[in-house]
Amino acid sequence: MADRREQKTKKRGAIPYGQGLVLCLLVLSGPLVAADTNRTDKTFETSPNPRITVANARGQILVRGWDKAQVHAVYGVISPHVEVDTEVVPPNGPADKIHFATHLLDPLLTGRDQTADYSLDVPMGTNLEIRNTQGNVRIERFQGDDTTVESVGGSILVSDFTGHLFVRSVGGNIDIIRASGRVEAYSITGDLHFVSPTTSKLRGSTTSGRILFEGDFPDGGDYSLSEYSGDMDILCPPSASFELSAKTDRGKLQNEMPMTIRHQAATPLSSANSLFGTHLTGKATVNLRSFSGTIRIRQR
Amino acid sequence: MNEIGQGRTAGCYRFELELQAYMEGEDAPFVPAHARGCVFCRVILEDLEALRAAALALPLEEPSPSVWSYVHAQLQAAGAFAEKVSFWDGFRQLGLLRRPIPVAAFACMVVLGCLLTAPQDYPELDMTSQVSALPARSAVRSMAFLGEGAALEQVVRELEVTFRARESSLAPDLKATYENSLISLDASIRECSDSLQREPENSLAHDYLLAAYSQKAEVLSSALEFDEGR
Repeated sequence: MADRREQKTKKRGAIPYGQGLVLCLLVLSGPLVAADTNRTDKTFETSPNPRITVANARGQILVRGWDKAQVHAVYGVISPHVEVDTEVVPPNGPADKIHFATHLLDPLLTGRDQTADYSLDVPMGTNLEIRNTQGNVRIERFQGDDTTVESVGGSILVSDFTGHLFVRSVGGNIDIIRASGRVEAYSITGDLHFVSPTTSKLRGSTTSGRILFEGDFPDGGDYSLSEYSGDMDILCPPSASFELSAKTDRGKLQNEMPMTIRHQAATPLSSANSLFGTHLTGKATVNLRSFSGTIRIRQR
Repeated sequence: MNEIGQGRTAGCYRFELELQAYMEGEDAPFVPAHARGCVFCRVILEDLEALRAAALALPLEEPSPSVWSYVHAQLQAAGAFAEKVSFWDGFRQLGLLRRPIPVAAFACMVVLGCLLTAPQDYPELDMTSQVSALPARSAVRSMAFLGEGAALEQVVRELEVTFRARESSLAPDLKATYENSLISLDASIRECSDSLQREPENSLAHDYLLAAYSQKAEVLSSALEFDEGR
């Protein structure tokens, strides 16, 4: 009797364990299988200053610099009808060029199904070109001689960058944080946000977006910001030394920085509001333009 | 069928009247229907469609900096900055472009007069802006090219025609992004044009107008690169 009871107990105990194991396998197999089929991890040996290009329609692209002569790429897709083509030049030996391109196997694929996400670790000094039509791009801790990032609707964030940076997004916001070298950032309806740049040359332009600049103007720097109808806010420390040329046609000019006003020769009659002056010794050059937006220059 | 000209019918004339609307993407079913039955008109339609396709296949190139000087000179010569003349009326008076030599000579005299009499100090000289606001210097630089005319406005118009014909193939969110940017740029073009009508010497409006056209051309070119599935 006791044996039969014990057997029943063992039998009852075995079933839940078995079911649990099956359940766990079922739960885990999904993502595991998905991981195997959707994510790819590759490493390429490269020459010292390779050229890397990424062409993508949707998804996130993250690029970080590192000190290895390698490109480590991890990319994943949602749909089995999307693949990532990789072209390495030359095919053997350290790569001078690597091209990543998201390819739709089904031309009728739409929306989120087109998504491909990339995470790249690339050597410092890489020439980088990224086009992500409707996806966001993020570049961190990178030094590049010539870096181009373009998007249509995606936002772009670049932080701790050194080199020449060209960024353009038709409708997405652009954030440039702690950049040095030369920076150009353009959008039509997106906002531009610059934080603590130490660039020698900075250009920023947006048509209906807003511009926010937070930081100092390094000696010898050349900064030119332009927006059409959005507002422009400049927040700089009291120690910033710059020569200012600010002009708006229909908007307002609000300045809190003490300025030595420069004498201006006669200019054609215009309804523009303008301010030409020098703060401290005028070591940097700052050029601000707006058509109908408000330009505000304040102490941080 | 009424025969009006040599081999031309009333349908052919209606075809010509509606052809522009059809090429701009508007609903004009008579155009393709007539072309199917009329060899002469079919050839015209096929030529225009081939031109449009060839234009799309052309490599996209950034215009040289002198393009903006051409536009400035063209606008200036067309009286776009004159008082009481609307910008579009002045632009349409490009009959001047058919007589470039006398116009250039007259403009050179005007420029020489400006150089001799205008003040020497231009604060904008210190500007690092890409588009110069100095009418005298840009006029001198561009007079040599007067007559060639960038026709930037025409380029933008043609790009927009092609974009409208193909925009239905864009993904909805992509199309919305482009539409919003074009709305923003068109608003700036209108406002700047209005400003220049009231204040022909408004250099800021002039610079923004050129920039808006340039950006609109870039946006349209970018949009034409994308089709569903590309």
